[in-house]
Amino acid sequence: MARFIVRRFGGLIFVLIGVSVLTFFLAQVVPVDPAATALGSNAREEQIEAYRQQMGLDKPAVVQYANYVARLFHGDLGKSIRTRRAVLADLRDYLPATIELALVAMLVTVLVGTPLGIIAALNRNSFLDAAARSLALIGSAMPIFYVGLVLLGIFYRQLQWFPGPGRLDATLTPPRHITGLYTVDSLLTGNWQTLRNALGHLILPAITLGFYSTASLLRMTRSSILEMLGHDYVRTARAKGLAERVVIGRHVFKNALPPILTIIGILFGSLLSGAVLTETIFNWPGIGRYATTSVTTLDYPAVMGVTLVAAFIYPLVNTLVDIAYSFIDPRVRVN
Amino acid sequence: MKRILSHRSMLFSLGLLLVLGLLVTACAAPAAAPAAPAEQPSAGEAATSSGGEPTRDETLIYAVDLTDLITLDPAVAYEFGGIQVVGNIYETLVSFEPGKPGELVPVLAQSWDVADDGDMWKLTFTLNPDAKFASGNPVTAEDVAFSWQRAMDINKSPAFLLTDVCNMVNGEITAVDAGTLELKIPKTVSPQVCLSVLTFSTAAVVEKAAVEPNMGDDMGESWLNDHSAGSGPYVLNRWDRSVSVTLDANMNYWGGTVPPMKRVIMQNTPELANLQAAIETGDADIVQDLGSEQAAALEGNPDLTLVKGLSTLLAYVGMNATKPPLDNPDVREAIRYAVNYDDIIALLGGNAQLVQEIIPIGFLGHTGNNPFTQDLDKAKELLAKAGVPEGTEIDFMVPTGTGPGGIEWATLGAKIQDDLAKVGLVAKIRQLQTSELLNIYRSQDGELVLMNWGPDFPDPDGNATPFANFEARSLAWRNDWNDPTAIELSKKAAVELDPAKRAQLYAELVEYVQHNGPYVMLYQPTRVFGVRNNVQGFIYDPSDTPTVSFWLISKK
Repeated sequence: MARFIVRRFGGLIFVLIGVSVLTFFLAQVVPVDPAATALGSNAREEQIEAYRQQMGLDKPAVVQYANYVARLFHGDLGKSIRTRRAVLADLRDYLPATIELALVAMLVTVLVGTPLGIIAALNRNSFLDAAARSLALIGSAMPIFYVGLVLLGIFYRQLQWFPGPGRLDATLTPPRHITGLYTVDSLLTGNWQTLRNALGHLILPAITLGFYSTASLLRMTRSSILEMLGHDYVRTARAKGLAERVVIGRHVFKNALPPILTIIGILFGSLLSGAVLTETIFNWPGIGRYATTSVTTLDYPAVMGVTLVAAFIYPLVNTLVDIAYSFIDPRVRVN
Repeated sequence: MKRILSHRSMLFSLGLLLVLGLLVTACAAPAAAPAAPAEQPSAGEAATSSGGEPTRDETLIYAVDLTDLITLDPAVAYEFGGIQVVGNIYETLVSFEPGKPGELVPVLAQSWDVADDGDMWKLTFTLNPDAKFASGNPVTAEDVAFSWQRAMDINKSPAFLLTDVCNMVNGEITAVDAGTLELKIPKTVSPQVCLSVLTFSTAAVVEKAAVEPNMGDDMGESWLNDHSAGSGPYVLNRWDRSVSVTLDANMNYWGGTVPPMKRVIMQNTPELANLQAAIETGDADIVQDLGSEQAAALEGNPDLTLVKGLSTLLAYVGMNATKPPLDNPDVREAIRYAVNYDDIIALLGGNAQLVQEIIPIGFLGHTGNNPFTQDLDKAKELLAKAGVPEGTEIDFMVPTGTGPGGIEWATLGAKIQDDLAKVGLVAKIRQLQTSELLNIYRSQDGELVLMNWGPDFPDPDGNATPFANFEARSLAWRNDWNDPTAIELSKKAAVELDPAKRAQLYAELVEYVQHNGPYVMLYQPTRVFGVRNNVQGFIYDPSDTPTVSFWLISKK
């Protein structure tokens, strides 16, 4: 197991190098001057030149990249051209917000998608099945920003059941930074009002972000269960006189699980990329919005920081899924 | 070696993986430089004596796009968001009287005097003996000298205001005694312009005793992002990056009463739809910069008032004065007559005011003369006189994205292209990302260029010099317009001491540039605020720092 993990993450280093080279040199060919962008339209030539020198942007691209990698080995992701802070400090502020949102969206996806998929499969062609399938269709067809706007329009502006955009009400002070996840931090510090408020703020964006993945998971669960129901061992299990609950729970569901797990892994990746739109609509101070602003100003140290983190999270999730396989399927060995 | 691991060792490995994953976030924490002050009260917060958290009625929530906010250090701030915050925390020696362009009023300095000192101007400021910082310490000349010196040494975006515009140099700022400060500037600089610069946040006074021990390796910039050391009506409570800035009333405020709003929260709200929702629901008390669509939707809402204010930006078309056919003044005049200004104002849906001069409304020297209306015959006649054949092509650079007043640059460019076609000129539109467009523009390679300009500091000189003085290497230079008359007039107006004479000189300059210059001046955009009905005392003054003074606001 340990070797497996080491190998997986050894390979990751090459991925990260590739990603960083690609991002860096893509940033070089875009005809935008990050120093000029950072200083605005009134800036004079001398000021721009001084800033360029200060940020090391006047050096040849290869030298800039070498410097970047050298710093990277010291755990330094460089300084953002736009915010003028260490990229690491920026990521520390913004990444937890996205992780919290994605995790809750994942929770929504699994808690809604899987049971609905099972119910739909077990009641094939019934009204329930039709309803679940329409939900899946709507979920995969409706653009994420539209879902967000509709939810905000109905549940925040009209009914006022949920709080508006943002992670907390403006009047509340965020909990002390421990993990950066407001729900966890307020739980750890015993701040119940903040916890309640943070949870309230999470619901609408998490539903928005999880909408598409819920639909996908629902469809995958349904078809996977249906496929298993047709197998001989199910008939045998029933013939043995096992209770239906046991047949479905222990035999069918367990066998249907590997493809479901795979899709959950893939969906988690899509949650992170979907976060860009959700974060914009819900004014969520996460990494997606940070990435968008950084891209439009060609703040390449920030863009590379975000890209490297994303390049790290994807294989991490995949590895977790692979390991989870070995738990549910004895034929799969992890080594 | 192939073996199936026991579940226990697997769990251990899973834990290992999770730890690896958390490295991304958790490990970043200790390395990160200035952490937000989670529990540490900022310098002035200790002054809050009322006890307990302010109620919602004592709290002002101000929703605004704070995407540009990168610093709260007065010596570094040069963005709308930063200046707005800094202007409520820190004070300057002098300020402008709202609504009276060019008229200075005392703040930290109770009086000042401009004297002729050979080849220098000597400005002597007498500080108000009552003035004290939020910490309770008096504001001394030593603090002022330290603050200006620091702003020059830190040398970030706005430092040129002190070093280049005011021509302050090391050794010419002297604290004569605790209450008297002497500043000497060269005769080439207008004391009037320098005083205008001194109203701006870059010249704000920080408390030396508070900043000096926290200079670190960046002269205290990162410390001032999370703490405040000013004498203004508010102190910084906290800045949550990209979320909000929270200010608390300075309970020690020396200049009159403690502000009625005990807490001000500036909530970063970049999405226009969210601005609208925030003011509708009452989650925000004031919202800044509503789009025309949102303003229209909120029109008639009984819970709030829409307040319009002018920004200091001017939208214009630059015409390179050495590129044929634009090198002929008649052609430039023809283009000014070809544009349909009324249509443009209509396109902006009331979010703009027609301004055809280089000095914006609200500044000394603004004349209010708009001599051009679309006159196609006159334009054609001028073009014929210049010998420009029908179908002459001119390159036309237009930025991407949204321009001032919320109109797409592309829409505005197409409208102008359409007008020019009516007099037989073919404007070939090239749409470019702003910074790329500016690169070409700065190297004098543009022909027609659609752009906007906002003054660097609240003085007519902030527009007159860039627009008229070729030597300043700004707009006149970018458009390759080297005109001795304009240069002479702009220099003369800048150093004139008598405000009435100065206004007269600017009026002359404005009229001269109007007909001879390389610009088609289009409009000055308005910005729309939504204000809840229980909010009183909201004033927006574009040439003042800050543009919105939170201490004047109360609730009923």
